[in-house]
Amino acid sequence: MKQLCTTILLCLMVVAGAYAQRTISGTVTDQSGEALIGATVAVKNTSVGAVTDVDGRYTIQVAKSDAILMFSYTGYATQEIAVGAGSVVDVTLVENANVMDEVVVIGYGKQIRSTLTGNIAKVNNENIKGMPVVSVEQAMQGQAAGVNIETVNGKVGAAARVRVRGVGSINAGTEPLFVVDGIPLSKDSRNTYGAGLNPLADINFNDIESIEVLKDASAKAIYGSRGSNGVVLITTKSGKSGKSQIELDLQYGFSQPTRKREFLNAAEYVELFTEAANNSDDIDGYAYDDPDSWTTFVQGRFFRYSGRNDDWMSKIDKTNWQDEAFQDASLYNANLSFSGGSDKMRYYFSANHGLNEGILVANHLTKDGARLNLDFSATDKLKMGVNLSVSRTNTRTVSDDNAFSTPMQLVALAPITPKRDENGELYDRPVTTYYNGLIDVEDATRKVYSNRTLVNVYGDYSFTQHLALRVEGAANLYNVRDEARFGVRTDAGNASNGFGESVFAGATDYNTNAVLRWNKTFDKNDLGFDLGTEYFESTNNRTSVFGEQFPTDELKTLASAAIITGGTSTEEQYSFLSYFGRARYNFDRKYLLNASARVDGSSRFGDNKRYAFFPAFSAGWVLSEEAVLQDNPTISFLKLRASWGQSGNADIGNFRALGLYAPGSYNGQSNYVPEQIANPDLTWEKSTEVDFGLDWGLFDNRLNGEIDYYIKNTNDLLQQVPIPATTGYKTQWRNIGELENRGWEFTVNSNNLVGEFKWTTSLNLALNKNKVVALADGQDIIDDGGTRYANVVKVGEPIGVFYGAEYAGVDPANGDAIWYTNATDGSDPRATTNDFSEANYVVLGSPLPDLIGGISNSFSWKGVSLDIRFQGQYGNEIHRSGDVFMSCNACWFDNQTRDQLDRWQNPGDVTNVPEARLGYSNGDIGRSSRYISDGSYLRLKNITLAYDVPTKWMRGVRSLRVYATATNLLTFTNYEGWDPEVTTDFLAGNTVYGIDFYSAPQPKTIIGGIRIGF
Amino acid sequence: MKKLKYILFAGILLIAGACDKKLDIEPLQSVSETVALDSDANVKLVLQGAYDNLSKDGMYGGNLFRDAELLGSDGEVRWVGTYSDPRDIFNHEMDAGNTDVENTWSIAYQTINSCNNVLSALDVVNVEDRDRVEGEAKFIRGVCYFELTRLFGKPYVAGGVNGQLGVPVITTATRGVTEASYVSRNTVNEGYEQALSDFLRAAATLPEDNGVLAGKYAAMGMAARMYLSMGKLEEAREMAVAVIGSTQYSLLPNYEDLWNQDDDTDEALFSIQVSPQDGVNELVTFFSIPEFGGRDGDIEIQSSHLALYDPADTRLALFYDGNGAMRTGKWKNQYKNIPIIRLAEMHLIAAECDARLDGNGAFQLNPVRERAGLAPLNQAFVEDVIQERRRELAFEGHKIHDIKRLSGTVDGLSFDAPELVFPIPAREIEVNKNLQQNEGY
Repeated sequence: MKQLCTTILLCLMVVAGAYAQRTISGTVTDQSGEALIGATVAVKNTSVGAVTDVDGRYTIQVAKSDAILMFSYTGYATQEIAVGAGSVVDVTLVENANVMDEVVVIGYGKQIRSTLTGNIAKVNNENIKGMPVVSVEQAMQGQAAGVNIETVNGKVGAAARVRVRGVGSINAGTEPLFVVDGIPLSKDSRNTYGAGLNPLADINFNDIESIEVLKDASAKAIYGSRGSNGVVLITTKSGKSGKSQIELDLQYGFSQPTRKREFLNAAEYVELFTEAANNSDDIDGYAYDDPDSWTTFVQGRFFRYSGRNDDWMSKIDKTNWQDEAFQDASLYNANLSFSGGSDKMRYYFSANHGLNEGILVANHLTKDGARLNLDFSATDKLKMGVNLSVSRTNTRTVSDDNAFSTPMQLVALAPITPKRDENGELYDRPVTTYYNGLIDVEDATRKVYSNRTLVNVYGDYSFTQHLALRVEGAANLYNVRDEARFGVRTDAGNASNGFGESVFAGATDYNTNAVLRWNKTFDKNDLGFDLGTEYFESTNNRTSVFGEQFPTDELKTLASAAIITGGTSTEEQYSFLSYFGRARYNFDRKYLLNASARVDGSSRFGDNKRYAFFPAFSAGWVLSEEAVLQDNPTISFLKLRASWGQSGNADIGNFRALGLYAPGSYNGQSNYVPEQIANPDLTWEKSTEVDFGLDWGLFDNRLNGEIDYYIKNTNDLLQQVPIPATTGYKTQWRNIGELENRGWEFTVNSNNLVGEFKWTTSLNLALNKNKVVALADGQDIIDDGGTRYANVVKVGEPIGVFYGAEYAGVDPANGDAIWYTNATDGSDPRATTNDFSEANYVVLGSPLPDLIGGISNSFSWKGVSLDIRFQGQYGNEIHRSGDVFMSCNACWFDNQTRDQLDRWQNPGDVTNVPEARLGYSNGDIGRSSRYISDGSYLRLKNITLAYDVPTKWMRGVRSLRVYATATNLLTFTNYEGWDPEVTTDFLAGNTVYGIDFYSAPQPKTIIGGIRIGF
Repeated sequence: MKKLKYILFAGILLIAGACDKKLDIEPLQSVSETVALDSDANVKLVLQGAYDNLSKDGMYGGNLFRDAELLGSDGEVRWVGTYSDPRDIFNHEMDAGNTDVENTWSIAYQTINSCNNVLSALDVVNVEDRDRVEGEAKFIRGVCYFELTRLFGKPYVAGGVNGQLGVPVITTATRGVTEASYVSRNTVNEGYEQALSDFLRAAATLPEDNGVLAGKYAAMGMAARMYLSMGKLEEAREMAVAVIGSTQYSLLPNYEDLWNQDDDTDEALFSIQVSPQDGVNELVTFFSIPEFGGRDGDIEIQSSHLALYDPADTRLALFYDGNGAMRTGKWKNQYKNIPIIRLAEMHLIAAECDARLDGNGAFQLNPVRERAGLAPLNQAFVEDVIQERRRELAFEGHKIHDIKRLSGTVDGLSFDAPELVFPIPAREIEVNKNLQQNEGY
């Protein structure tokens, strides 16, 4: 990658002029004397270049006797050598720990890190390769400062949420723009059944050379209307000229939940619910043995739940339903790659196959894919290439968190209930308290087949040494097919003799761009201009058909449905047309200036507001190049950066500005229903961001890092503003309000020990403070008013803050749940009340962390290496929304968590669990601090122990590594629920954070692997 | 080389220029407001959309009936489901955040807006259909205001001023959000007057037979129901008798045949259409069991209700034992129509008026009794008619409204207790400072 870049840069910079030619040859080796294959050799200030062959040899023509040769190779320091009079120049390149010379991918180009004026985090292949996770986001979790990544739950293939520098919007998208080899990919889930799956799961991250996250305005403004939430640039590997290299990586392992919760056993269940019924009888004045009493009612239920017998009386545990929700999960992955090429043509080919079983019963995913990346130098001036990948992911999904059929909701069933009846059939209601989700495991299929083809073709032509044009065309062909079939015993198929649905969702995206680059160096001045245009078009369609009345469960397709109950097809398109430019100037790599601008037009806006302009400016000053510091023994690098810029958020869905009627149907006829109230003034969300940064390096850059402070203001927020429902509409899209994210980011990289025993540490920390600055005029809060969840948008607070009644525990006198009144009328705010409606709502915590970060340590000694990476977050709260059912002091028949045994029983009892009262609400209201917990955690995200087996005695084997990796092995947290990395998957929206509603815990995975290179 | 450069530049510009038009993308699934109201055919589709809304779960798709039964349960039904919103309605412990209450409010006003849009565009409707379209829109709007006012306002007092707060009455179509969108509540009297005038206008303009859509007698039936609730007995009787006398409708011989039907029966004046293809029957969801497409049998019928029936009463046979409790057989198939108003109610209205005005309701009451296999009465007092209503119209959304009309009690609460009045939804109070909350919320 680096030599490619250097070549390009050289092509641009040099003046071609041919006089008398002379041939120089030589060998390029590393410090141990091994030949370096594919190292770049270039004649400085000319376009002449060569690449070393399999033996590290090169031959190059030079025109002048004072010519200087530049030798470069990825991971090694570039050397410049004057050719002098001789004809042989042999070079030994030294391994380079200097991150400042690293090449960084920027929007529509590349740059040396030391000349950057923006903030870009980079994650390299070696940091993600071989991780036993499904998606690229999971692989990079905790590795980039200020990039918060969260997998919503432990379902395999679950959506992963990425937030760069905080949550940047209230109603528009908050995901960064993902660009894979130049094509933007949507992160919208397209499956219909089960929880939304991560569409990027099919990207094989072992193919990724590097991931660059563009964080500040200067870096991302070139992406204009789509840059506001950051940009994640994913570059896949290219071949290197030289001998073919083959690598095979095989891994196999197991997963289990990070944690289980404790539930009541049969004896405790019978005891607690009998007590709850007695208490309710006391309230209603029933004798316990009265036929209409709660106690009689409960005993009737116990009889039912036991399978219509009196087994409950013996209090024997029949089923541990939590255990039934999980399975012993195994996984394997195989990854094969070939790469190599000549100086004319380079290739990288890979194929992968893997199976990941989820920790939830019947939840699994298989992945297959192949990639071919070709780069071809047609002439000295013309380079062409293609990146092509095909992949498919097949997932057997489970229902979303809110469905009775989802495995995690099995925990609600009673421990006195046997799993199966005497005929071996799974029990269902009325024996089970609710629908038995295991029936879905046996009698339902819900498969999601997704296929993706990504292709990117480019041509790069150098008109002169200063001017070049790169043209790219890319396509993303993505389709997802859902096949769901629910047998006659399942909840969904029960009343209809079986239910089936087939949904086909397709997305076809095209992206073309052309960028003209001009670059010139004169004296110490380096000046560059880029000018480009881009067009993106996306077409999304969906066709579905569903039917019921199947003759038998064995017939799976809708061909067997007696009644086709429905079917539809929809299509939507959107497009962007953009023009952009960038100017770069640096003097002596000391004073750096950068300006960029983009004009974006989109179909998503009305004619009047169709185009918008996004400028950015940035500057840098490399203090360490100043004379005062140049020879400083301690400070090896010091750079101050500052940037200002604007970017937009166009991820707002289509047609928001229009007044619309949607088609419906009634009585077998179609109709129109008012759907959306018009707002002709709707325009873009804009973020204005400033960033101040300091890049530093000490002791020859053995210790180096970055410090950044940023303020990002997003205004003209696109919001579905609540309007009186009496208008016939509940919301209107408007541009109102302002959101601010400000924070600090720190990265530190350290080569603690060099030599035979190596120890490196890298740390990243980010503090982000999110604040809703303003909503509509006079509006202080966006609150759906419900009492189940507590997230709101409130001025002065972080988005999605928990807002509800402050729980004061239990009145020791009578067992009532009590809340603080938090009165604002002058009476004592610390007074308590047992009437929830008398408790004023207050801010109870924020689901957004104050601090996120990761630290990794790598040790290596004689082929043995150990990598340990921790990841964590601090200062966020989680709402245990499901606990209003499972931790509600036996308010209804859901099995309770064991902590509910601490319930109040007698006057004087001091506890936080109110008296159990069946059928009565005693503190089981979700919108209360009773159900809010600290969600901070520190997690051993990844630990890998590897041994590079010496291969000298193995013929043909280049390398051999055996390794073991564990993810999520240890979690340190005070969270009472299953796992603190959680957000329920059935609710949507930017305020949906930190909600745990029967959400599957994250998997803990341990694998062993072997990686062989030939 | 220079030439190539210019050709390339020109090419890029051309492509870019052509692209600009590609930003003009229209929705394919929806139509714009102006299109929806610009032609006879489209306005009629908007009218169909008003029926669609009326059939939603928050309205006659189920909750209006369910909530009337839960709110007026009085020991006759028990809510045993896991959803807390209906449980709070059942326990008379609603709060302003109750999402089911909010849903009913929002859907009703969405329906009203559809009607107002239709009424605003009557001039593009073909002249020969204009009366019918107007009548249907007013029928639906009348239903919304009647139901909203009696749920969200304190009970109507017969003969009183009824200045207690009802709901905002809006009769113009929404085109944008303005100052005027932040409405205040009208009085119960104003809500009733609006609904009544809509029904009367609909009765005057609608054809006698209008298929499964609202016709003249549906509007007259609703007017009769309203008059009765307002204590206007003469008018109520006049309307009810006119419907009975129309000969277009008849009492079915078997009570059982009224329920779970694909097609409207001869007894139904107006029904919500439900089929496997569209519509919802939320009554089945809550009153029934999984076998019939219900949830978990969330509403159980208690013995105190069953005790109301004579053992010989054929209506008793409709109850069944499902999942360990008694259930009503009226709502037993998720894909079947929901009768909203039917002829038997007209008999009961006329009988009650007869009993109150003339002392004997037997003439209109006996057809209903006889159909249920009961002996005719020579003398039917008001109480006889009321008891018959409880049996005949059970679980059809009359319970709480009859209790309020008859100044009864529910679980010890007086008919005019604030607990029996829906709260104005919290989100609505939050958004519109001009709305006053009900007592007790």
